Amino acid sequence: MNEKIKVKVHNLIKTFGDNQVLKGINLEVHDNEVVVVIGPSGSGKSTFLRNLNRLEAPTSGSIVIDDMDIADPKANINKIRENIGMVFQHFNLFSNLSVSENIMLAPVELKKASKEKAAAQAKKLLAQVGLESKYNATVQSLSGGQQQRVAIARALAMNPDVMLFDEPTSALDPEMVGDVLAVMKQLAKQGMTMIVVTHEMGFAKEVADRVVFVEDGNIQEQGTPDEIFNHPKDPRLQSFLDKVLNV
Amino acid sequence: MKRHFIRIISGLAALFALLVTLGLGAAPAKAEATYQIATDSTFPPFEFANNKNKYVGIDIDLMHAIAKDQGFKVNMKPTSFNSAVQSVQSGQSDGVIAGMSITKEREATFDFSKPYFMSGVVMAAKPNGKITKLSQLRGKRVAVKTGTSGAQYAQSIHKKYGFRIVTFDESNDMYQDVLTGNSAACFEDSPVMKYAVRQGTKLKIYTKPTLNGPYGFGVKKGHNKKLLRMFNNGLADLKANGEYARITRRYLGAKGSSDTTSDRTFMGLIKQNKGALISGFKQTVWLTVVAIFFATLFGVIVGLLGVVPNKFFNGLSTTLIYIFRGLPLLVLALFIYTGIPSLTGQKIPAFIAGIITLMFNEGAYIAAFVKGGINAVDDGQMEAARSLGLPFGKAMRRVILPQGIRIMIPSFINQFIITLKDTSILSIIGIIELTQTGKIIIARNLEGFKVWTIVAIIYLIVITLLTWLSNWVQRRVRL
Ligand SMILES: Nc1ncnc2c1ncn2[C@@H]1O[C@H](COP(=O)(O)OP(=O)(O)OP(=O)(O)O)[C@@H](O)[C@H]1O
Ligand SMILES: [Mg+2]
Repeated sequence: MNEKIKVKVHNLIKTFGDNQVLKGINLEVHDNEVVVVIGPSGSGKSTFLRNLNRLEAPTSGSIVIDDMDIADPKANINKIRENIGMVFQHFNLFSNLSVSENIMLAPVELKKASKEKAAAQAKKLLAQVGLESKYNATVQSLSGGQQQRVAIARALAMNPDVMLFDEPTSALDPEMVGDVLAVMKQLAKQGMTMIVVTHEMGFAKEVADRVVFVEDGNIQEQGTPDEIFNHPKDPRLQSFLDKVLNV
Repeated sequence: MKRHFIRIISGLAALFALLVTLGLGAAPAKAEATYQIATDSTFPPFEFANNKNKYVGIDIDLMHAIAKDQGFKVNMKPTSFNSAVQSVQSGQSDGVIAGMSITKEREATFDFSKPYFMSGVVMAAKPNGKITKLSQLRGKRVAVKTGTSGAQYAQSIHKKYGFRIVTFDESNDMYQDVLTGNSAACFEDSPVMKYAVRQGTKLKIYTKPTLNGPYGFGVKKGHNKKLLRMFNNGLADLKANGEYARITRRYLGAKGSSDTTSDRTFMGLIKQNKGALISGFKQTVWLTVVAIFFATLFGVIVGLLGVVPNKFFNGLSTTLIYIFRGLPLLVLALFIYTGIPSLTGQKIPAFIAGIITLMFNEGAYIAAFVKGGINAVDDGQMEAARSLGLPFGKAMRRVILPQGIRIMIPSFINQFIITLKDTSILSIIGIIELTQTGKIIIARNLEGFKVWTIVAIIYLIVITLLTWLSNWVQRRVRL
């Protein structure tokens, strides 16, 4: 982790109708940093992540990624998104395409690579997530854990600077969770800047540089894993940890 | 994305303009005056298609003879009586000769020639002698054909004699209603009724012709004065030189042009009408193919407008679907063929009007299921594509549409079959497709049951073939 600021969120507010979901979030993420976001259901974690690549348009506030303000309506959002990979809870692999086509689609369509280059890259990425043998497989033939690893490979194919993960393991059978987390740990080790929403506290403790606790549309507390898990100050964080750690 | 849409829409407009020009170009170019004369297609012995599928009859022969005598050209346009009348009012035709009685009411919108034929209404009923007089009609049902002087006559006396009137579009349907006993009697122009009886209709004429049936050639009031003058002069010439008498004798004389003697079995009917049935069938297939093409284009564009992230286009899509799905096909066809030209004065050929009608109506249904099919694709697919930096259009084309189309295929097949069936409704604007061909054949030989059976079987065969073809395509797409 170094001192360069990669993502800077200032006073981010998001409302749906008259429901204010994000109530003024401030967060800075450094280059190579892994930030894990935790918090109870409905607290606004997904909404926060989706604002970062404008799948939801912020109501007010600013989001600067790599010195570009993505909340500015004039910004070329497609260009910005190429640099922000996203992994979804339900994988969202393109079901009309094969595994390799899923990975190659964006690089080829957006003219980042020729077909041959994209194919070679897809092979490499599949090897990285341990699924070389699935190059020609259909999406439907994969298990959930395999699908999620392909989804990670797909997001990496655009060589993003930042990766967003929204509960990447919570739709998986327990025996699949480890494989996906292993891929994510490896990514972190390679220096990827990551913002990860998860309920996997073990992952947070082991991999996170910083843990952020979101409750009721605000960041209530943040700090190192040691500060958050061993010395929580906010009573809401304490009761949240009681619940998730004592299941 | 928007630029794409503009390109697609202007492409569609260009294609359409091309089709319209082609259609207009198909009408004969006029170096010398060629008059468009509308006529009925099913009113023997005044106008009907003979078994060589050629239009003949007193009106037709008379019109040609007068044109020859006066040195002008005519293009006869057989359609239904109602649309013949309307096509003169809307300027689609210059004149109408269709066994049309000169009445006070019609003189408000038409200028008529001197009467060229004295008709008169008769009452016909089953030959069992139960109904022989007007006074026996009290409390009974009486059948008439829309817009005829028989219908008018019935209207004028139904209070006095206390009967109810039911209206039909085709003479044969009216006769059938009497034959099956639903109606007690029918009123019909006497030459028409005589012709029908001679063709084998089991009805009997019981009354003398009324004395109020002068037929006239009509033009739109205040228009085509020269044409009207030439008609009157020609008529006088023909009466003087004996040609008029020859023409009427050809159809009403003792021998007449009857084909009661011909083979009335299924095979016989098919053989006699092979040419007409094949050309009607071709027209139906051609209409279907062209209509499916334009309806699909229209439907896909309107359907896509319904899913792009733009409120205005979404509203436009919803409105178009609402209007064109809501309108009955028949109303839409008449509106486009006779309604719009009477406002703009611009003629629209029946075929083009038919294609526009089907394009809007079938296209609206297609738009609805295109929209539905796209919406049925999981939102996560679009989000994942957009999160990779794919623009909306690319995401749509590469990810959403391929999945949506799979969902839509059964609806497309269904809609194609419906389109084929709906072409039959276009017989109302005089397009001689399979259904209109059936009506025309029946007008001549009055073999309703057998001819409709033949027509129905032809439709079923085509629909079966279309279904096979669609299933084959569907299998190919799945691969
Ligand atoms: N598109 C939307 N329209 C309206 N309300 C929304 C929308 N998306 C989210 N919300 C609301 O915003 C609030 C926060 O939702 P969000 O999905 O961000 O929570 P979360 O912290 O991710 O919860 P979970 O742990 O269950 O995934 C919820 O009350 C939700 O109903
Ligand atoms: Mg969530």
